[in-house]
Amino acid sequence: MLKMHNIRKSYRTDTIETHALRDFSLEVNEGEFVSVTGPSGSGKTTFLNIAGLLETPTGGQYLLDGEDVSSLNDNQRSRLRNEKIGFIFQGFNLIPDLNLFDNIDVPLRYRGFNAKERKKRIEKVLEQVGLSARARHLPAQLSGGQQQRVAIARALAGEPRFLLADEPTGNLDSLMARQVMELLEFINEWGTTIVMVTHDPDLARRAHRNIQVVDGQVSDLQRTAAPTAVEIA
Amino acid sequence: MLELRPILSALWRHKISALLIALQLGLTLAIVSNALVVIDERTERISRPTGVAVEDINTFGYLAIPKDYDKFEAFRLDLDMIRALPGVASATISNHVPLSGSGSSSGFYTEPNMEVGATAANFYTVDEHFIEALGMNLVAGRGFSPEEIMQVGATSSERPTVAVVTQRLADEMFPQGNALGNAIFRGGDDHPIEIVGIVERNLGPWPNSPIAGRGVFYPAIMDQWFTYIVRAEPGQRDAVLKLVEEKLAERDPNRVINSDTLEEQKDQYYAGDNTMVKVLTAVVILLTFIVALGVVGLTVFWITQRQKQIGVRRALGATRTAISRYFLLENLIIATTGILLGFAAAQIFNGFLVSEFNQPALPLTVTLACALALLGVSLAAALLPALRAANISPATATRSV
Ligand SMILES: Nc1ncnc2c1ncn2[C@@H]1O[C@H](COP(=O)(O)OP(=O)(O)OP(=O)(O)O)[C@@H](O)[C@H]1O
Ligand SMILES: [Mg+2]
Repeated sequence: MLKMHNIRKSYRTDTIETHALRDFSLEVNEGEFVSVTGPSGSGKTTFLNIAGLLETPTGGQYLLDGEDVSSLNDNQRSRLRNEKIGFIFQGFNLIPDLNLFDNIDVPLRYRGFNAKERKKRIEKVLEQVGLSARARHLPAQLSGGQQQRVAIARALAGEPRFLLADEPTGNLDSLMARQVMELLEFINEWGTTIVMVTHDPDLARRAHRNIQVVDGQVSDLQRTAAPTAVEIA
Repeated sequence: MLELRPILSALWRHKISALLIALQLGLTLAIVSNALVVIDERTERISRPTGVAVEDINTFGYLAIPKDYDKFEAFRLDLDMIRALPGVASATISNHVPLSGSGSSSGFYTEPNMEVGATAANFYTVDEHFIEALGMNLVAGRGFSPEEIMQVGATSSERPTVAVVTQRLADEMFPQGNALGNAIFRGGDDHPIEIVGIVERNLGPWPNSPIAGRGVFYPAIMDQWFTYIVRAEPGQRDAVLKLVEEKLAERDPNRVINSDTLEEQKDQYYAGDNTMVKVLTAVVILLTFIVALGVVGLTVFWITQRQKQIGVRRALGATRTAISRYFLLENLIIATTGILLGFAAAQIFNGFLVSEFNQPALPLTVTLACALALLGVSLAAALLPALRAANISPATATRSV
């Protein structure tokens, strides 16, 4: 599903060059639920951004679904994000001016679905996250946990193969965090590959596999372990 | 793919700022389109044909110092001298100068002894050189012969028996087209004045008055009111102005000469119209500039405010084009709303100007053209910010707080 080999990413500012990722190699298989942990600034978000085609690596090779994405142009990358990848952010990132229905509609419109298809999908995912009754509400009228469920619905509506989550429970209390986690596990059971960055060791343990990122690299312990081994939780 | 509905519902949450810009656009449309018709009317007024050779004519008058000065003799000597000067095409003497803002008018009738229903017209006294000297175009009949020119002193009661009139006066007084050979009468008078010639056009001394274009020329020289009208060969006007001034002073130093180009007098007459055109043009440019600034400001502000949202949209699969299109479409919606409001306002405002200030009516086509132009200005103003918005990185979705 996802295969990174010796990915490097450095940020250059006027004064310093930060190596956010160095020789980062990782493979994630179809259907896996991988959690990513590591100290702050270790490169977790950078890895997720590159995996999700939000940023381009400085070097190395990245195959998504067997396709080398380094040669794609901006439009092709946008399309791939839209079709194959779902994003869940720590801050939910719902569009405040749009109601829940229209928020979920955003990626579907970019996909080019007709109105009927979009409506069908939106209603389905809203049902899945248990917020059908709130379709016309604005994000600000919901609790954090509900907002994150809408964000998950938005990520799911396009039926992505691959779900990327950057601290999806970071802004939630533990009860809501558990609900979101259960939702993600449910989604994963239906076949969606999930990579989730988290600071919460309990949640990290619930994934099939935990990746430890230290100093821009997958920590040595895990590198030696066979990356293809799927450990069923 | 258009995303009108979500843009509309997002706009609805910012309706005050959107409406303010829309109103600004509408107001600009209302003012600019009305200003443009006034500009157009005044420009047309200034540039309409005068019937005389404005660019080539100088005029000269003088104040004689001695009390018993023989003016008629002076006129003859002056004019003979002027006509012989190099660069002079023709010269005449007249009571008034066309386009100068100073003149005489009188009421005329087609029947004797009439008191009401006169056709008001400007009148001039001129010598036999007047058609050439003014650069007019004789379209029917004849001009005057030297023997016809009367010398009218202060106490003289002699009256002309022939006249040349303008085409406009001929058409208005004799709609059947039989002016030539017919007589006109001054109010309450039974003395016929036969029309012997018709000139194509002469706007008269007051081009903005309702009687502009109606002119009557008498074969006469008055010692009370006189100005030499001297037409130069093309391109010689300024040289002739100096030369004639010099020679007049040389021939008789005992007088104060005043001279001017006809162009200068015309400019002075139209000074108000010219100022109006300049002020309104400045208003049009300024308002358009301000509205463009407003659009740029609001677009930049909204884009800055929605940086995160733009990043999220990019992360969710929006192409750069989709982002730029979003903001242009948003701008188009606001501008269209404003312009529709402005369209109505323009007509209402114009109705007021027409009824209260006698300004020209605003044709729908002008408002429409202004509306389209303003729409273009608004889109152009939003274009650069919209293109820059597309450069916001999708990583903004995960990076910024
Ligand atoms: N746009 C950028 N410009 C410069 N440096 C950057 C940029 N983005 C990230 N970095 C640096 O790259 C390194 C890795 O950052 P990253 O966000 O991937 O860390 P992280 O593991 O997600 O941290 P956290 O747990 O705090 O979210 C950090 O040192 C960070 O300062
Ligand atoms: Mg991070």
